[in-house]
Amino acid sequence: MLVADSILPKLGRQYVDLNREQELKRFLYHESRLLDAEEYEAWLGLMAEDIHYWMPVQENRDRKDKAGTFSATRMAFFDDNYQQLKTRIDRFGMHTAWSENPRTRHVHSVSNIEVFETANPEEFEVQSVFINCRNARERDQDIIMGRRVDLIRCVKGDYYLAKRLIILSHNVLLSKNINTFF
Amino acid sequence: MSRFNNAKSPPDWASLVSADKGVVDRRLFWDKEVYEAEMQQIFSRCWLFVAHESQIPNPNDYVTTYMGEDLVIVARQKDHSIKAFLNSCSHRGNQITFSEKGNARGFTCNYHGWSFGTDGALKGMPQSEAYENCPGFKKCDHDLKQVANIESYKGLIFATFDPDAPSLKEYLGEFAWYLDIMLDNDEGGTEFLPGCTKSVIKANWKFCADNFVGDAYHAEWTHDSGANAMLGQSVNYGNLKDAVHISVNGHGWATNMDKFGNLRTLGEPLIEDYYRGRWHDVVDRLGAARARMVGAVSSVTMFPNFSFLPGQNTFRVWQPRGPNEIELHTWVLVNKNMPQEVKDAYRRGVMMTFSPAGVFEMDDGENWEFSTRSNRGYITRNQSLSYSLGLGSEIQSDELPGRISKGLINEANHRHYYQRWADLMTAESWSNVPDRKESGEC
Repeated sequence: MLVADSILPKLGRQYVDLNREQELKRFLYHESRLLDAEEYEAWLGLMAEDIHYWMPVQENRDRKDKAGTFSATRMAFFDDNYQQLKTRIDRFGMHTAWSENPRTRHVHSVSNIEVFETANPEEFEVQSVFINCRNARERDQDIIMGRRVDLIRCVKGDYYLAKRLIILSHNVLLSKNINTFF
Repeated sequence: MSRFNNAKSPPDWASLVSADKGVVDRRLFWDKEVYEAEMQQIFSRCWLFVAHESQIPNPNDYVTTYMGEDLVIVARQKDHSIKAFLNSCSHRGNQITFSEKGNARGFTCNYHGWSFGTDGALKGMPQSEAYENCPGFKKCDHDLKQVANIESYKGLIFATFDPDAPSLKEYLGEFAWYLDIMLDNDEGGTEFLPGCTKSVIKANWKFCADNFVGDAYHAEWTHDSGANAMLGQSVNYGNLKDAVHISVNGHGWATNMDKFGNLRTLGEPLIEDYYRGRWHDVVDRLGAARARMVGAVSSVTMFPNFSFLPGQNTFRVWQPRGPNEIELHTWVLVNKNMPQEVKDAYRRGVMMTFSPAGVFEMDDGENWEFSTRSNRGYITRNQSLSYSLGLGSEIQSDELPGRISKGLINEANHRHYYQRWADLMTAESWSNVPDRKESGEC
C-alpha cells in the first residue's frame, strides 16, 4: 500500500456539513486531551468494540516497487483490537510500570482535520495530522508526527472510533518506545 | 585513574574485564576510544547476522542492513547464491540504495551515475569514454567492497569482513546444536514474517546484548507490569531445578527448560496449542532436552550483537551507533509450515510484547538508556559493575555441550560474553584468540 492511496480523496466523496464537522473536531480534541491527562480508561471508552487501531511500519521502498511502503501482513507498531488496547492500558495503570514514573509530560496536537461522508450515513471518514511531543525525566524529548485516517461512527448521538490508520512519518522510530496512543 | 594512558603501547582492553571475579569496568559502556576499538577488533572481524534467507528468496532480491556501522547490501544472485557488499559507491562513497528491501537488476549511485550489478561489480558509468584515457583505470578495481565471507546456517545468513576469520561453523561451534532448537524443530525450516521494526535506543549496544545473553534476573522486577498485563500475574520463574546458563565462544543461551514459559507471555493460546501438538515430533527431531527449550523461559545472544527470545521468537540486531546509541532492528521468526493462524498469532503477540509499544520492551529501553547515561559522570564511570551472580556455578554436563552453569538467576553467560569481548579486543589475529572451552574460574 502507498500513503497517497490511503489519504487522497475517493471518487465522489463529499465533505460533511459544518455542524457535523464541528462535532467531530470536538471529538478529536477531547480524545487528545484524555491522552495528555493519561486518562486511558476514558480514552478506551471512545473506541467502538470492533475498533481496528493500526499503525504499520513505514518502509523505505523504491517508488517503482509495487509492494508499497506498508501492508496488512507486515509488522506494525499497533494492529490492535479492543482487547489489545485494553492490555496496553492495563500496564499503564500499574505501579510497577517503572518507565511511567515519574509521569511523562504528553502533548497531543491535532490539526488538518477534514471530515467526509461515507456510504454509511452514521459513519464518517476523518482525516487529521497529529504531533505528539513527550517530555520525560529531565531532558528526554521525543516528537512523533503523522497522519491519521479514521472511521468514526455515530451511535445514538455519541461518537466512537471504529478504525484508525496511523501513517507515521518515521521509518526508524526515533524513540525507544511508544508509551501513549496517537 | 586511567588504565590505558600509555600512548606508546596499545591499550590493555582486557584489563577492563575481570571475568573470574565478575567485575566489568563501566568505561566499556561509555568511552569513545573503547567504541572505536570495538569497530576494528569486533565488528570488522566477527561473523555478524545480516539477513534471513526468506527475506531474499528470488534472484535480484536484496535487503540493506548494517555490519557494525558499515552499510551493506545483501543480494540473492542469479545462481541463488548470496553476496554482501558495501552500500557505498567506490567513486565518492555516496550511499547507493536507500531502499531497505526490493528486487533490482543492479544499483546506480545518484551522484555520478556509476552503476553496479547485483553482485556488486562496477558495470559502467556516464561519460565512460573519459575513463578510457585515464592511466591505469580498470573498472574491475572499483567493484563495491565485498564481505570476506558469507555463509548461511539453516536460513540465518552471517557475514564477516575478515578474510582470516574462522569458518561460520567454527565460529558457532557447539552453539549450532542449540540454534537447531529454533531453526530445525520442524522439517520445513523457518522464515521471517514480513517487515522489520526499527527503533532507536540511546544505550550502549552491549547492555542490550548482555541483557539477552542470560539476564533472566531482571524479568521479575523490570517486567512485573508487562507480565501482569499479559498474564494477570507477576513473573513466576517456576521450578528452576533444571535451569542452566550455556555458553560457547561468548554466545549465550540461558534457559529454564520448562517447555512453554516464554511463549505463554505472548497471550496467544494458539501458539501453545501448536507446540503441544508437535511435542512428539519435536522430541523426535531434537531429543527431549532441546525440545524443552523451544518455548521455555529463556533468552539468547550470539556474540556480538544478535539476540533472540525462544518461544517469543523475536529476533533482533542491536546495531551500534556510537558508544551510547543503538538502532534496534527486529523480526519475528516462524516455522514455514506453521498454519497461517499461528503465524498471525506470533505477529500479534510480538507486537503486544517485544515491540516499541509492547508491554515488555517499553521498560527495557528505559533501563539500558539510563545504565548508559549515568556514566557521563567522571567519578561514576570510574566505578565498576557487578556481574558476580552464580560465580562458581559451572558444572559438567553429559547432556549439554558448551560451558554449562547451573541456575537461571546467574550471570555466568555475561562473564563468558565479556571474556570473549576482552579476548577479541586484545587479540591481534584470530590465532591469538584463546580457546576457552575448558572450565575456568568464570
